[in-house]
Amino acid sequence: MNPFKVAVAVARKDLRSEWRTRELVPALAQFIILALLIANFGFQIDSRNAPSIAPGILWLTLVFAGLVAFGRTFAAERDQASLEAILMTPASPVAIFAGKAIAATLLLVVCEAVMLPALSLFFGTPLGVDMIAAVLLATIGMAALGCLFAALVARVRARELLLPLLTLPLWIPFIIAGGQAVQSAMGLPGNYQEAIGLLIDFDILFVVLTSLAARFVLDE
Amino acid sequence: MNKYDRAAVAAVALMLVAGAAIFLFAPTDYLQGPVQRIFYLHVSSAIAAYGCFAVVLVGGIIYLRTENPVADRFARAGAIVGLLFTTVTLVMGMLWAKPIWNTFWTWDARLTSTLVLWMIYAGYLLVRRLADPGRQSARLAAVVGIFGFIDVPVVHFSVTWWRTVHPGPIIVNDALPPEMLATFFFSLACTLVLAGVMIAIRYRIETLLDAAQSVREPAKLIATAREPEPVP
Repeated sequence: MNPFKVAVAVARKDLRSEWRTRELVPALAQFIILALLIANFGFQIDSRNAPSIAPGILWLTLVFAGLVAFGRTFAAERDQASLEAILMTPASPVAIFAGKAIAATLLLVVCEAVMLPALSLFFGTPLGVDMIAAVLLATIGMAALGCLFAALVARVRARELLLPLLTLPLWIPFIIAGGQAVQSAMGLPGNYQEAIGLLIDFDILFVVLTSLAARFVLDE
Repeated sequence: MNKYDRAAVAAVALMLVAGAAIFLFAPTDYLQGPVQRIFYLHVSSAIAAYGCFAVVLVGGIIYLRTENPVADRFARAGAIVGLLFTTVTLVMGMLWAKPIWNTFWTWDARLTSTLVLWMIYAGYLLVRRLADPGRQSARLAAVVGIFGFIDVPVVHFSVTWWRTVHPGPIIVNDALPPEMLATFFFSLACTLVLAGVMIAIRYRIETLLDAAQSVREPAKLIATAREPEPVP
């Protein structure tokens, strides 16, 4: 079986089931708006300090929305015990994992399409191509790691506890480089080019590593 | 006294000798005064921690390839001893930083990456506690150990292009007088012996825990099998 076709088929299946149920994206969009609302009351934000506070709010919101999204990646499979059925097909586990990761990434990108305009609307920060590029590049690597650990903890009893504990420290490189890129995109001092280069390096490194590790994650 | 007790006593005695060398043999630093003596065990325990996490990495890789429980037990032992040495490094570093940098903590590359290191292996130990023991938890932990080991240099590298207050590797730069260098290498050797002995003892404990587990599981099955059928 062609692994690319398998990955696309699994991703399409996940996206179609999300389209029919419309569970995750509306919930996450509301979660994001609520997080921005809370940040608004937690900080004293005005037009002067907004560029220095907004990047932090962006990453905090994105990280926690991502944890929720990746935690749900294997929820349907677990509830209906269909993961075993998928794994019994001759398709390679790595291709199945890649398909689920692609679907989860796309769902998170849809949520970012809500978050970035909302951030710009509420806090008056600029919304440019450079900021969107930084967030999307960070999303790729974060999604690879997030889906890997979501798959690992899918059958563990305390998965809601373990997923953030394991994923957050490994996401820190993306937050460091992405944070720097978004800060400079919002007009604070910082080297945008270098941060973007670093994000691309990290994406390549962690996508390669997760695809190597995925073999050990899904075959039982 | 079994061989583990003897090894433990020897390691503690070596550490006392190292302590004597640090306080009596090594000269006092001209600029920093006696507080510089933290250096010997601070750096030694950081190196010992990296060594322990290398054990976790190698154990994890071997376990994923061969499913050999020995490799997994070594990884578990390395993680807990390494976390202990990382804690020692962090606490000693903070005590040293307060008089010299006038703050306990700063978001420097080395401090940040050490804190992330601590978080990752604390997570590793929590995985072992929260997941049901067996093949699944061992595989999960192996992947965490491998990714954790790779993540730390990455974090270190990505913070480095901000700013750094932590001194670089002064040992390779030949900046230490010979007495300090001798004291450092002696305390490093003693710390590594201590770490090795601790891993060996922890490995023994993990073996016994695994043995207890393998007795407990069938016992549970027998107990449930003998339960009388409920009367309808």
